[in-house]
Amino acid sequence: MENYIIEMLHITKEFPGIIANDDITLQLKKGEIHALLGENGAGKSTLMSVLFGLYQAEKGEIRKNGQVVKINNPNDANSLGIGMVHQHFKLVEIFTVLENIILGVEPNKLGFLQKKEAREKVMALSKKYGLQVDPDALIEKISVGMQQRVEILKMLYRDNDILIFDEPTAVLTPQEIDELMEIMRGFAREGKSILFITHKLNEIMSVADRCTVLRKGKCIGTVEIKNTSKEELSHMMVGRQISFTVDKEEAQPKDVVLSVKNVSVPSRTSKKHAVKGVSFEVRAGEIVCLAGIEGNGQTELISAITGLEKMSSGEIHLQGRDITKASIRKRSKAGISHIPEDRHKYGLVLDYTLEDNIVLQRYWQPEFQKHGFIKKAEVRSYAQRLIGQYDVRSGQGPITITRSMSGGNQQKAIIARELDKKHELLIAVQPTRGLDVGAIEFIHKQLVHNRDEGKGVLLVSLELDEVMNVSDRILVMYEGEIVGELDPKKVTVEKLGLYMSGAKRNIGKEKEHAE
Amino acid sequence: MKKILSVVMVLVLTLALAGCGTKTDNNGTPAGDNGTTTTAPTNTSGSTGSEIALITDKGNIDDKSFNQGSWEGVVKFAEENNITHQYIKPEEASDAGYLAAIDNAVSGGAKVIVTPGFLFEVPIYEAQTKYPDVKFILLDGEPHTADYATYETKSNVASIMYAEEQSGYLAGYAAVKDGYTKLGFMGGMAVPAVQAFGYGFLQGAEAAAADLGMADGSVSVIYHYTGDFAETDTNKATAKTMYQEGVEVIFACGGSVGKSVMAAASEAGAKVIGVDVDQRYDSETVITSATKGLGASVYAVLESIYKTNSWDTYAGKKTYFNAANNGVGLPTEVIGDANGNAFDRFKSFDKAAYDEVYKTLADGSKTPVRTITIADANGYATADELKSGLGLAKVTVTTRQ
Amino acid sequence: MQNKLFSPSRLRTLTGSKGFSTFTAALLAIVLGLIFGFLVMVIALPANAGQGFSRVLFGGFSRLGDVFYFATPILMTGLSVGFAFKMGLFNIGASGQYTMGMFFAMYVGFMWKVPDGLHWVICVLAGLIGGMLWGCIPGILKALCNVNEVITSIMFNYIGMYLVDMLVQNNGTMYVAMKTRTAYLPASAQMPSLGVENSNVNVSIFIAIIIAVLLYVTLNKTTFGYELKATGFNKFASKYAGMNDKRNTILTMVIAGGLSGLGGAFYILAPSTIAGSSMTYEPISVIAANGFTGIAVALLGASNPIGIIFSSIFISHIQRGGTLASLLGYKPEIIDIVIAVIIYFSAFSLIMNAAFTRFIKKIRRKGAKA
Repeated sequence: MENYIIEMLHITKEFPGIIANDDITLQLKKGEIHALLGENGAGKSTLMSVLFGLYQAEKGEIRKNGQVVKINNPNDANSLGIGMVHQHFKLVEIFTVLENIILGVEPNKLGFLQKKEAREKVMALSKKYGLQVDPDALIEKISVGMQQRVEILKMLYRDNDILIFDEPTAVLTPQEIDELMEIMRGFAREGKSILFITHKLNEIMSVADRCTVLRKGKCIGTVEIKNTSKEELSHMMVGRQISFTVDKEEAQPKDVVLSVKNVSVPSRTSKKHAVKGVSFEVRAGEIVCLAGIEGNGQTELISAITGLEKMSSGEIHLQGRDITKASIRKRSKAGISHIPEDRHKYGLVLDYTLEDNIVLQRYWQPEFQKHGFIKKAEVRSYAQRLIGQYDVRSGQGPITITRSMSGGNQQKAIIARELDKKHELLIAVQPTRGLDVGAIEFIHKQLVHNRDEGKGVLLVSLELDEVMNVSDRILVMYEGEIVGELDPKKVTVEKLGLYMSGAKRNIGKEKEHAE
Repeated sequence: MKKILSVVMVLVLTLALAGCGTKTDNNGTPAGDNGTTTTAPTNTSGSTGSEIALITDKGNIDDKSFNQGSWEGVVKFAEENNITHQYIKPEEASDAGYLAAIDNAVSGGAKVIVTPGFLFEVPIYEAQTKYPDVKFILLDGEPHTADYATYETKSNVASIMYAEEQSGYLAGYAAVKDGYTKLGFMGGMAVPAVQAFGYGFLQGAEAAAADLGMADGSVSVIYHYTGDFAETDTNKATAKTMYQEGVEVIFACGGSVGKSVMAAASEAGAKVIGVDVDQRYDSETVITSATKGLGASVYAVLESIYKTNSWDTYAGKKTYFNAANNGVGLPTEVIGDANGNAFDRFKSFDKAAYDEVYKTLADGSKTPVRTITIADANGYATADELKSGLGLAKVTVTTRQ
Repeated sequence: MQNKLFSPSRLRTLTGSKGFSTFTAALLAIVLGLIFGFLVMVIALPANAGQGFSRVLFGGFSRLGDVFYFATPILMTGLSVGFAFKMGLFNIGASGQYTMGMFFAMYVGFMWKVPDGLHWVICVLAGLIGGMLWGCIPGILKALCNVNEVITSIMFNYIGMYLVDMLVQNNGTMYVAMKTRTAYLPASAQMPSLGVENSNVNVSIFIAIIIAVLLYVTLNKTTFGYELKATGFNKFASKYAGMNDKRNTILTMVIAGGLSGLGGAFYILAPSTIAGSSMTYEPISVIAANGFTGIAVALLGASNPIGIIFSSIFISHIQRGGTLASLLGYKPEIIDIVIAVIIYFSAFSLIMNAAFTRFIKKIRRKGAKA
C-alpha cells in the first residue's frame, strides 16, 4: 500500500443544476508535485475548495495519513497543514507584505503585536526558498508576481506542508513562471506535497510528478508524467484529439476594411501619449495581429478604434467611411465586432442572464424589440440557437446568471454574440486569455473561419504561440508605436521577441513624434 | 462564526414566535375605529388612553413655546389631582391631521383635549360638533370654519385669549424702569394681538417714566410693523438700523420677526424683549419676554372642570386671561433651574419691582387700553393717533413704515 | 425526511430563486426590527407593552384609509430612489424634488384658473414637471461634467427648499403671513377623495400604484429598462455595448425627479376631511422628511417597484399603528424610536440576505445528511 498524505475518496459535490464533482478520487503522495488538469469548469477548483473547507462534499471522505478527517472551514484545513494560493489573491491591499503574511496568526504578547519576531521568521523563510519580498511594501504597490510570493509565504509561515496552487501561472510573465516552477521543485525536495491546478500542459510536463485529469466533473484518471505525453494529456482532458497548430489556408486579402491613419491617444495615467501616430490597415480576409508586451499602447489603440476612448489626433475609416467621430453604437452598426480584453469589465453584464448578455449588442434591433418593448420570446430562441451553435455550457441555459458560468463559457458567449452579429471587422483582444486548450482551439478556429468568410480580423495577443500560429501579418507595437511589420511564416520567435522588446524596428525609424 | 450565526438566527425565530404569541393575547382592544361611536373603555386596567390629552402643534413638546407652556399647565394640574394625561403628536401638520389627532385622542379615551395655538381653530370647529361630550380648551384661538365665514364656540369649547396689552404693559414698564429710554417696537402685521402688545408696551413705558418722575419726552420709542411674521433680511436690516439710530432695546412682537431682531441685536450688542413665551433661551440678547400665561390658564380651566365644577365660566365663549388670573406676565422662573433668576438680564429691575407693578394690573388700578381708533385700513397707527389714543406724554413715538 | 413540505429538494427549489431569498431577507429584517422595537416598548412602559406592540402591528388595519393615504408620498419617493438606484445612481435628492413638485402643484393650484374636473390633473402634471426639473439638473451635471450626483442632489435639496420657501413667502395669493403658511388650496385643485370616513385617502394611491407597475414593466420589459439595469450593474459593459450613458443618466434622474415631484404633488393636493380646508405648506427652512423616508422604503423594497409598493404600505402601516400605540401612554418620541428601529433594521436586509442564504444552506446540508 502506498503512503498517501492526503486522500480524497469518491468526492461528490453538487450545485443547483450541475454536478461539479462526481465520485472523484485524488491521492497525494508525500513530497510529490501532483497536477490537477482539466478544462475550465471541469471541477478542479470545486475539488480543491472541498479540500480547503470552503465547500462541503455531499458524498465521499477525506483522509490524512489514512485517518478520516473533517474539514469544515479553512481553519480546519490550516490546522491539518493544508495551505492554498488562490487564483485571485486574498490579500489586504492597504496592508504591508508582512502584515498580510501574519494576518490571522499574529504573534502577540498580552495582545501586543510582536512584529519583530514575525519579521525574522518571514525573512528566514524568504531566504530559504528564494522568495524575495519587501516586507514593508504595501500590497497595492507591488507586482502580481510579488503578491503571489506573499501568498506562498503565508502558507509557509503557517507551517503548511500540503500546498495547493490554484492556476498560479495564469497571472505571471514567462520569467516569473520559470521562477515559480523552480520554487515548487524546491518545496518538493523539502518533502512538502504540492497540488498544482492548471490547464497548461507545458507546465505539467516540466514540473509535475503525477497528474490527475478531470473532465466535466468526472475523474478520467491519474497518470505518471514520465510515462505520458502532452498529446495524451490533452486527449484525456478534452476527450478528443487536439491539434496544437492552427489549420488554415493561405490568406486571400481583399479590400481594405479598416484604415487607421496617424492615430494618437493620450495616456490615462501620464501626460504622455499611449499611442503615437499609428497608421495601419486591415484587409478583408486576413488576420492582422498586434503583437507586443503588455502596456505598449495596444489597449489604448483598440479603445480608440472601437470608440471607447477618445483620440487626440488621427483618422479611422471603416470600409472607406470616416468613423473617427462616430459613437460606439454607430461603429458597431457600421460593422465592428469587438471581443474585449476584459470580459468581466467590458464584455458582459455579469448579473444579467446569459440570454440578456447574448443580445447585449443587438437588443435595440427591430428583431428583438418593438416600440421599446423587448421581445422576450425572440431573445430566448436566438440565445438558444447561439448557445447550441457555439456550445456555451451553463447550469440553466439562457436564464443562467452569467456570473455563475465558467470563464471559458463566458468567453464563448461573447464570441457567439460578436461573431453572429453582422460585421465586417472583428477585433479580438486576447480572446484566449485564461482559457484551456480546448477553448483556445475553438476560438482560433472561429477566427480563421471568420477570416475565410471575408471579414477583416484584428487580433491583439500577448502569447507568442498565438501570434505565430493564427495571424497572417504581424504588427509589433512598442511604446505606442508600430515598430515592425512581419510575416509569421518568415520570422522566428526569437526575432519577434527582439522587435517586441524594442531592440529592433523596421518601420518609422527616424520619425519624430509630438509627446 | 457560522455556528454563532445560526444560533442567533434560531434565537431570533423563537423570539419572533414568542412575539406572535403576545400579539394574539392582547389583540382585544379595537383601536381607532370611527371615533363618534366608540365608547371609551373604562379606565381601570391602565391599558386605555389618558383622560386629558394635549395635541401638539407643529413642533415638539419641548419647544419652549406654546406646546411646552400649555403642557406644563396640564402636567401640574393632572399630577396634583392624579388624572391620566398625555400629549399626542399629530401625524400631519394640517387641519385634517389635527382633527385626526383629536379623533385618536377621543378614541383613546380623552375627556378633555387641550389644543395650543390658533392652528387648531378650524379643527376645533369641526371637533366641537363631532365630539359633543368632549371638552376642548383652545388656547389663543377661536373656532371658525376654514373660510372664516362662521365663528362659533360651542358649549364644550373654552376659547382662551390673553390680554396682550397687559403683557406688553409689563414689558414696557420693566424696560423703562430698568433705565432704558430709547425703545423700539417691531410688530408683525397690525392684527389685534400685535396691536394690543404694542399699545400696552407704550402705556407701560409711559407709566414707568411717570413713576420715575421723568420729564416729558424723555423716553423715545420707534414704532414699526414689519407686515409679515417672517425671519427676513429686511427685518434684520430694519432692526439693525433702529439699533444704529440709538435704540437700546426692541420689543420684537411677530413670530419669526424675533429671530431677525435677535440676530441684529447680537451683532449690535443691543437688547431684545421677547413675546408670547419666555424667549430667553433663544438668545442672550433677550432681557425679558411679554408672555402669555399658557400654563396658568390651562390650569385654571382644568380646575373649573374637575374641582370647582364651574366649566360654564369658560364654556362656549372667548375668555381673556389677564394679570388678575395670572394669564399674562413676564417670566419669573428659569425653566430647568429652580434657583435661576429670571430677572438676571435686567440691570436693576427685579422680582420685587415686578410684583409691585403686577399688582397694579391685577387689582385693576391700572387698565391699559387694548384698542384705539386708527384711520389706516391696515391698522397702522400714526404717531399722533398713538399719542392721543394712549395718552402719552413722557413717551414720544416715531412711527416707521 | 417525512415532511414533504420541508424536504431538502423542495427547500432547494424554493430557496434557489433569487427573489425568494431577497423577500425572505427583507421579512427577516422586519422581524428582527419588530423584536427590538418590542424591547424598546417593554423598557419604556412594561405594563402596556404587549397591547401597545399589538397596536403597532395590527392597529393599522383599523385605519386602512390612513395607511394608504400616508403611504402614497413615500411610495413615490421610494420609487424615485429605487429607480435611480437600478441605474447605480443614488438619488438622495428626492427631498428637494419632492418640495419642487409640491411647489409647482401648489402654484398651479393657486394661480391658474382651470375648469373644475381638470384642475387637479393639471396640478399633478405641474408637480411632475417640477420634480423632473429638479432631478434633471443633477442628472445633467453627472452626465456631462461627471459631478457626483450625491453631492449635487444634496445641495439641490437645500436650494430647492430655500427657493420654494422664498417663492411662497413672496406670493401674496399663496402665502398667509398671519399664519406663516400657505392659504387653503381651492377644492378644484384637490385630488378626489375616496370617501373613507376620517381619512384623506384619495385617488393618488391608485395613481402611485399604477406608476409603480409601469416602472416595473419599464425596467423588465423595455429596452430602456434593459439599458438602465445594464448600466447599473456594469457601466463599462453598457458603454462597450454602445448604450448612451449620458442620455440614460439624465433620463433616469429626470424620471426619478418626476416621481418625487409627484409625491410632493400628491401630498399637497390631498383633500381635507374638513370642508374648505386643505393641506398647507409652512416655509420654515426644513427639508421634506418624506424624501429621506423614500430611501428606507427603497431599501426595504430592494429597489423593486413592486417591492416598494409593499414596503411603503408596510412602513405607513407601522406608523399608523404606532400612533394608536401612543394612546396607551407611550410618549410619541418612544413610538418614533420604535418605528425608526423597525425601519432601520430593514436597511440591514442586504446584509441579512447573505446571512440568511448561509443559514438556509446549513439547513439544507443537515437535511441532506439526514
